[in-house]
Amino acid sequence: MMQAYLDRKTEGSALGTAITLLMSAFALLGAAAAYLILFGWLPLGERVNVLRSDINIYETIVAIGAILYAAACLRTAVGLRQRERASLRWSQWMLFLTAMLGGVILLSVIIPTLLKFALLLGQNIDLRAVINENSLAAAALAIGEGLISISLLLLSLLALLALFVFLIPPLEPLREVEGIRYIVAPPRRLIQAIVLVFAVGIVFMLIAGVYAVPLYPGVTKIRDIEEHRLLAGLLIFVPALLGYRQVRQVREESDELRRAVALTPGKFIRSELAKSPSAGAIIGFIAIFMAFTMATDLFLEPSSIASFLSNVATKGVIAIGVTYLMISGEFDLSVGSILGVTALSFMLFMTEGAPVVGVLDPIPAAILAIFVALVLGAVNGILLITTRIPSFIVTLGTLLAYRAITLVAIAGGRILRYKDFYADFPVIAISNIVFVALAVIGLLLTLFSAYRVLPVLWRGARHAWSVQSDNGDFGTTSALARFVILAVVGLILLAILIWLGAVVSYHLSASGGQLVEVGYFDLFNGRVLAIGSEGDFFHLDIPRDANVRLAILWWFIFVAFFHVILMNTPFGNSIFAAGGNQGAARAQGVNVDRVKVQNFVIVAVLTGIAAIYETARNPGVDPLKGQGWELEVIAMTVIGGALLTGGYGSVVGSLLGALIFGMLQTGLVLVGIESRLFTGTVGVIIIAAVVLNTFVRGAQRN
Amino acid sequence: MQSEQKNPDALVDMIDIHKYFGSVQVLRGVDFHVDRQEIVGLLGDNGAGKSTLIKVLTGFHTLTRGQIYFDGDAVSINSPHDARELGIETVHQDLALVPLMSIARNFWLGQEPTYQVGPFRFLDKNKMASESIHALADVGIHIRDSEETVGTMSGGERQSIAIGRAVYFGKKLLILDEPTSALSVGETQKVLDYTIAAKEKGMSVIFITHNIRHVYEVADRFTIIERGHKLGDFYKSEVSENEVADMIVTGQIPERLRLYAENLGESA
Repeated sequence: MMQAYLDRKTEGSALGTAITLLMSAFALLGAAAAYLILFGWLPLGERVNVLRSDINIYETIVAIGAILYAAACLRTAVGLRQRERASLRWSQWMLFLTAMLGGVILLSVIIPTLLKFALLLGQNIDLRAVINENSLAAAALAIGEGLISISLLLLSLLALLALFVFLIPPLEPLREVEGIRYIVAPPRRLIQAIVLVFAVGIVFMLIAGVYAVPLYPGVTKIRDIEEHRLLAGLLIFVPALLGYRQVRQVREESDELRRAVALTPGKFIRSELAKSPSAGAIIGFIAIFMAFTMATDLFLEPSSIASFLSNVATKGVIAIGVTYLMISGEFDLSVGSILGVTALSFMLFMTEGAPVVGVLDPIPAAILAIFVALVLGAVNGILLITTRIPSFIVTLGTLLAYRAITLVAIAGGRILRYKDFYADFPVIAISNIVFVALAVIGLLLTLFSAYRVLPVLWRGARHAWSVQSDNGDFGTTSALARFVILAVVGLILLAILIWLGAVVSYHLSASGGQLVEVGYFDLFNGRVLAIGSEGDFFHLDIPRDANVRLAILWWFIFVAFFHVILMNTPFGNSIFAAGGNQGAARAQGVNVDRVKVQNFVIVAVLTGIAAIYETARNPGVDPLKGQGWELEVIAMTVIGGALLTGGYGSVVGSLLGALIFGMLQTGLVLVGIESRLFTGTVGVIIIAAVVLNTFVRGAQRN
Repeated sequence: MQSEQKNPDALVDMIDIHKYFGSVQVLRGVDFHVDRQEIVGLLGDNGAGKSTLIKVLTGFHTLTRGQIYFDGDAVSINSPHDARELGIETVHQDLALVPLMSIARNFWLGQEPTYQVGPFRFLDKNKMASESIHALADVGIHIRDSEETVGTMSGGERQSIAIGRAVYFGKKLLILDEPTSALSVGETQKVLDYTIAAKEKGMSVIFITHNIRHVYEVADRFTIIERGHKLGDFYKSEVSENEVADMIVTGQIPERLRLYAENLGESA
């Protein structure tokens, strides 16, 4: 139909005109939103003061986005009016984006409603009485309950009959009988009908819930429901989705155009996701982040984000190593025990002293403790390659054996505390120049990445500009889009440069050459605010109550470092090969055994580093420190897309897995769901993420 | 004990090879040679010892007694790495490539092109992509995208890529271990074509199989192993396909060829 419209035939004109009008309407909507935001009628986030002209950073970003969106919609509408062929693809994308936007607005009402409803159910409030006050809600509840009971009754009847037929062997020949065959394999239609009845019942229950929930405002920490958004969301979502469904099916005559148009936004996103090992984690991360953001205002507070990042940073560091190991086809259950032993060694080196070296300062103690971890990891690896026992068994053994070390060393279940030996935590005086040097290194790194990235983008944009006329109707527009991307990347890099420059100039001017007193433990994993006398080492505007710890920074640095090693070095290549096909790797001259031992050592060293963080955060060791961590870390890695069988996975995936873990831990508490449900939720998420990963990878095959 | 090299011009000359696993004598004095630019079909029933012979040559097993000459020099091959250094490439039935890795990464595995930044060596991904596509096109294998994972390809395509890799890296000897046993007729034909392409690029090929039909078409010479001994060497011009097949099954040299086989053994 759209084809016919673009070919100026009469049959498609109605649809074409409708889509054109729709795009114009969305353009207007975008422009209106930008106007409202820019002139202060639609406040977003917190304002410094109430002046309408005083817009904050969120409003600026959203307004710019709205203007770009309006421009794109307008361009599409004009293209459709001019019957430009490429406008078809643009309308696909714009309608897809608009439908997503509308969907998000809808979800922002539905998710808090559902959560509130579930929580109210859990609070033993007599919901039925509440609902019965409203006749409409009562009717909806009755219908919903009726439908659900009918469908459940039918389903259980079918299941019982099937069980009966299957379980009793003498009845086997009965399967040949016509009537019984339907019970053994009920017709698809019947099952679908039952499921449909069930779903309709759920919808009616929801309607009843929506009526009931507002009667209890503020019972929970969940955001209040704003019904007016429901209407706005529907007004955006439904037309956009209908339009998208209409423009999606295209049969182009020319091969080239068909290929360009056949890759609809939905298919494009799926095939792009399939290229990444962590597709499930990406989708899960976005979904969970959005769900919590919509459910409660508390989630996006800097203090909540800082707290969940701080909670998972240490586990995330271990997850990097576990990912390496899992890609190379092995498995480490002993990380929790290694963590315990390392923390114990670190503590002992600082307090009671070790036999040869005596009492050490924190930094040499940390280095020596990490060396202890390295040795433990090497023992794991060497045991594996000499005995050829599966790593599951080897590390199960060392899990118990290493745990015995802490249990024996700290007898009687007491806790080895730093404060029992010294009154104060150790402090080191660092020259200001060190901070300046660090900032300068950061500056150089930023400049280097700018040097690598910007010329490529610039050349791409220039090329697109020079061939704009050959690129069909939208050549100019897509060339402009490339320039916009270039500008955005450039601005981000510039902002980082300015920030680092400010750090340098601050430390040079305000207290140049002075010594700054820093706690040793704060260097490892302190609150960022605790570093430097004024807490202004980073020169960032961090709220006082936000528990931003230094381990987060270390974690991100480690992720970047190990990601590059894995993806861009021969060593990374051999890790993939060792796990993907040992024989092939050996035949190509890869020393598989060495790679595996190296990976065990990497895990152990990262675990040792994590142990230092943990001990620095709370300077004391109990004999069970780190117990149970091994499975949590493996959960993060698996959510991140690594295959248990080896040969597949990514460091970024482990980052996402850890973030999902942390978001759940913090988010569930914020929403007001009992934290006892945390493990259950994580279990569901693990299975869902792995199923999603498999599903997306299957899509790539086809 | 250093024995004389019997075939001074040969690429590989294995003399009096013995391999015992404990008290089990798998190879009992086998002589085996491969000339330059020659395709040798190494034949034998299951358990005859042909795989053990090849594993001795490729360094998976160390030999109990005997001597190997490669390219005219006496060598001792103690690991797959040694064999690789000499220029011996083995394409196994299922051990050729890593299914979850891309074509480019598989192609360069173990000898990746790198560039150096300070102490770190990074993969030269542009070179990996472009050269693997060109190199494979050289032997007639055309791939669309070097980032595609090998797991999505058919068995024949995988064998072909492994052969193309061996040719590209200028190996002297290509060992194909049962390369066609799991392939369709069309794919088998392609693998045989690439084998000839490898020979034309100057390589020698050892083609191990127990299915004479696959190798008869391309091989120049057949070596038949029977219970740890060599039954004999036969040039293709001298024997028919059926005779070779009979020898593999019965382990006996037909009357017609007996004299020929003895002559060949002495003159060689």
